[in-house]
Amino acid sequence: MNDFWIILEGSLVAVSCGLLGAYLILRKMAMVGDAISHAVLPGIVIAYLVAQSRSSILLLLGAALFGLLSTFLIEILAKKARIQSDASIGITFTWLFAIGVILVSLYSGNADIDQDCVLYGDIAFVPLDTLFLGERDLGPTPIWLQGFNLFLVIAMIRIGYRGFLITSFDPSFSSGLGIKTDTWHYVLMGAVSFTVVLSFNAVGAILVVAFLVVPPATAYLLSNQLQTMMIYTVIFGVLSALIGFYLATWWSASISGAMAVASGILFLGVLVYQKLLRKRKKFLAITN
Amino acid sequence: MKKIVLLAVICLGALSCSQTEPKEEQEEKFLVVATTAMLGDAMEEMLDTTVEVVTLLGPGIDPHVYNPTKKVLDHLAEADIVVSHGLHFEGRMQDIFEKMSRKKTVIFLGNALPESKLIEPEDAGGFYDPHIWSDVELWKEALVASIPQLEKSGHYNKEGAEEYLKKVEDLHAYAASQVQSIPQKNRILLTAHDAFSYFAKAYGLEVVALQGISTVAEYGIKDVEKMVDLIVERDIKAVFSESSISPRSMEAVMSGVEQQGREVKLGGILYADAPGEKGSGAETYLTMVKHNVDEIVAALK
Repeated sequence: MNDFWIILEGSLVAVSCGLLGAYLILRKMAMVGDAISHAVLPGIVIAYLVAQSRSSILLLLGAALFGLLSTFLIEILAKKARIQSDASIGITFTWLFAIGVILVSLYSGNADIDQDCVLYGDIAFVPLDTLFLGERDLGPTPIWLQGFNLFLVIAMIRIGYRGFLITSFDPSFSSGLGIKTDTWHYVLMGAVSFTVVLSFNAVGAILVVAFLVVPPATAYLLSNQLQTMMIYTVIFGVLSALIGFYLATWWSASISGAMAVASGILFLGVLVYQKLLRKRKKFLAITN
Repeated sequence: MKKIVLLAVICLGALSCSQTEPKEEQEEKFLVVATTAMLGDAMEEMLDTTVEVVTLLGPGIDPHVYNPTKKVLDHLAEADIVVSHGLHFEGRMQDIFEKMSRKKTVIFLGNALPESKLIEPEDAGGFYDPHIWSDVELWKEALVASIPQLEKSGHYNKEGAEEYLKKVEDLHAYAASQVQSIPQKNRILLTAHDAFSYFAKAYGLEVVALQGISTVAEYGIKDVEKMVDLIVERDIKAVFSESSISPRSMEAVMSGVEQQGREVKLGGILYADAPGEKGSGAETYLTMVKHNVDEIVAALK
């Protein structure tokens, strides 16, 4: 049963991150997940300083708020300062992370407060994090949270599919049509920030950053059509979780590491397959 | 899209369930899982020989950066007793242990001690320093406090435990007398990170650490300067580095002292968070503390 919970949690994270990641890739903001993983530090420290406790809900809230703030800053910098989005991501997250490091060294020097200690969970512990209702064992807490989050993400995409699509592909065209580009952007980024922080808490950073980028990028190799791309993303995400889990068991290694590696292997496999296919076509065209 | 997700979940379920079934055939030993070797070797001595003791954190591993593998999960899931330090030493793992304690016996060794004996670092916001094992007497008290829970398991080895606790007691006496042999003005311990405050309090030394308990905030130039000034001002003979932390920080301090035209030597490696590797001569709790005491005495005397 433990194996099942881990694979299920990996798949849930893969699907919710992957679906959001598909939009991020179209917006050339794939590294936002990595940015958020660093930018949450001041949020954690401030939540800790205000509450003087390590209660994980408060810290999670602080982290999510700073995740959201970082996406705001990224957008504002890109727009007002007219710099590339990768540069604005770089500026924003290093700046916020650095503020966090300063806060740690100034105010909480003797308490063990950093994202490694209080925010990042590990997927290996998911089956042990049981949710109790009275004395009843309802299964792992992260599964419930992640499942609920995935439900919200899917609902949001169903409702806003076209809006997200058009504002992702061509922001200036869509604002010309009178579509509120900013609103769509912030709704999407809010969802990204919340999903990412929640997933960090359950499975750790590396897996989340990988699942946000790699499965949708793999899918993008196969299709330019968003809907098809999302279907492929789901398939590659779940496959990565599954293959990664068995790799980890086989190697007796870190599970989240193995899942991230599996997603990379899938990406490479698809890339090579495509190249070979193209070569073959060219070859056939020449010989004919 | 939802259909695909559902389908995938069902497939996964089928796959992973079929994989887990045939494991539980062989007869299993009573499994005790300890987070560190300090706990692990105490459990080996205090429980009878029919139990199997597994230690999660090997030598030289910083518990702050720890990646559990699938095996760790299996051990924890199958464990009959989990023994941990508590006092947040295990970081986020402690939350998991607290959840697990509703289903099986989990011992939080440090949590059984009275608050008056714990050290609360400045600005730690109500957290206690978890490094209690460096005060051998306090460690013994914590071990004694765990005996009722061990007895309940039915595998408590009274003779072995008494013998082991006697050894711990002797070690305390040894440490106390050895530190007494250091001249009063030399009794100051300069280390890389803050892991020896219980040791210092128990045996009458002063301790100054370069780094706080968390490892994310790196030591600043100011911290190095402060330590250099202290060494020059009080004519301190040696600084110490730790087995799980890079010696670079201490090298910075030493070259700072040299620039002032003085000399300070590196007083050897101390084992702070975990015993050493096999062959290091400090692979158990008892030998690790003895090693630390001997290094400190040799360098400061």
